[in-house]
Amino acid sequence: MGDHIYFDWMLCRLKANSGILTNFEVLDFLRSRGAAKDPTRVIAPIAPSEWKVYDYLEQSAACNQTRENIKAFSEECKKYNLATAEVINIINLRPSSVVEIDPLIEECDTRLGEGVEELVEIVVQVLPSPPNQMESDEGTGEQDKKESTDEQQTEAT
Amino acid sequence: MFYLSEIEHTLRLPPHLLNLPLHEAIKGVLEGLFLDKVIANLGLCISLYDIRSIDGGFIFQGDGASTYTVHFRLIMFRPFVGEVIVAKLKESDASGLRLSLGFFDDIYVPVHLMPNPSHSEPDPENKNQVRWIWEFGGENYPIDGVDEIRFRVQSVNYPSIPVEQEQEAKPFAPMLVTVSSPLNFPGAFIFYFACSCGFILSYYPTLRAVL
Repeated sequence: MGDHIYFDWMLCRLKANSGILTNFEVLDFLRSRGAAKDPTRVIAPIAPSEWKVYDYLEQSAACNQTRENIKAFSEECKKYNLATAEVINIINLRPSSVVEIDPLIEECDTRLGEGVEELVEIVVQVLPSPPNQMESDEGTGEQDKKESTDEQQTEAT
Repeated sequence: MFYLSEIEHTLRLPPHLLNLPLHEAIKGVLEGLFLDKVIANLGLCISLYDIRSIDGGFIFQGDGASTYTVHFRLIMFRPFVGEVIVAKLKESDASGLRLSLGFFDDIYVPVHLMPNPSHSEPDPENKNQVRWIWEFGGENYPIDGVDEIRFRVQSVNYPSIPVEQEQEAKPFAPMLVTVSSPLNFPGAFIFYFACSCGFILSYYPTLRAVL
């Protein structure tokens, strides 16, 4: 992107980190401003750079998620004592097997051991799978299709 | 990947915007100032999340515009170290790979952080680029533009603005993200490629042996 500039001297920051957002929350915010409903991309009050972010997020695992899924998942994985960063990674990537979840958790073997497979089960059941992952998961047979989440209401806010 | 940052900023509202409702005018000015720009140590600004308060509205002597102190939140793109991100390959050359997220392109995989072992060969299609090939289990897997690649963030740097630049130098990147293959063992890297190509079943048994 050719247009980036620095702005350090002009502003007084209050809080650099006022909260971490999952990909879903950013996607939901863009949708609440009308991103999903505007095929022409001219009417909704969204800048071109924001459209690029929207495109990226729609292709990621966040496109099918809902607030309820994410809350339910964070409740269920509390017992594994995962760091916030690890939970965010899992929610954003939606790993569907042990091999995928292993790099997201530090020292997975010592902290979780056999619990890893349970955690993967929870991920697969609670978080909906993104459309492109569904095709490749069919072969392994671990897909638990939740069609209701495919037609999720995006106008939550 | 995304954080909220609270910022307080004093801005000047140009007089030609006085016919708009205050909130909208300020939102327009803030978006023009911050959207798609990098703020040092905070990241790339994606969006204005909300405006918390607007104070002031004084007009300074000799100026036609009013000055407001605005307290607002921005959505910033700032990957944390250790995050795994999904990206597409943009370019590859002898010093490594360059990945793109669509809205952000300055993600680099330097040679020493490429999956090990791998080698490069000149790309038959494009004269200036090389193709990287990863060797695993006796097979060669080319890293090409078709697959989505998952990498782990190693560091995020904000180089300072150069005073001079050579003619042929790359355009200045105010925010550089350096990433590496997310795993210590080679087995799972191919798994990410296998996901997008659809042959999970045939490789999974090999991976179990590696694990």
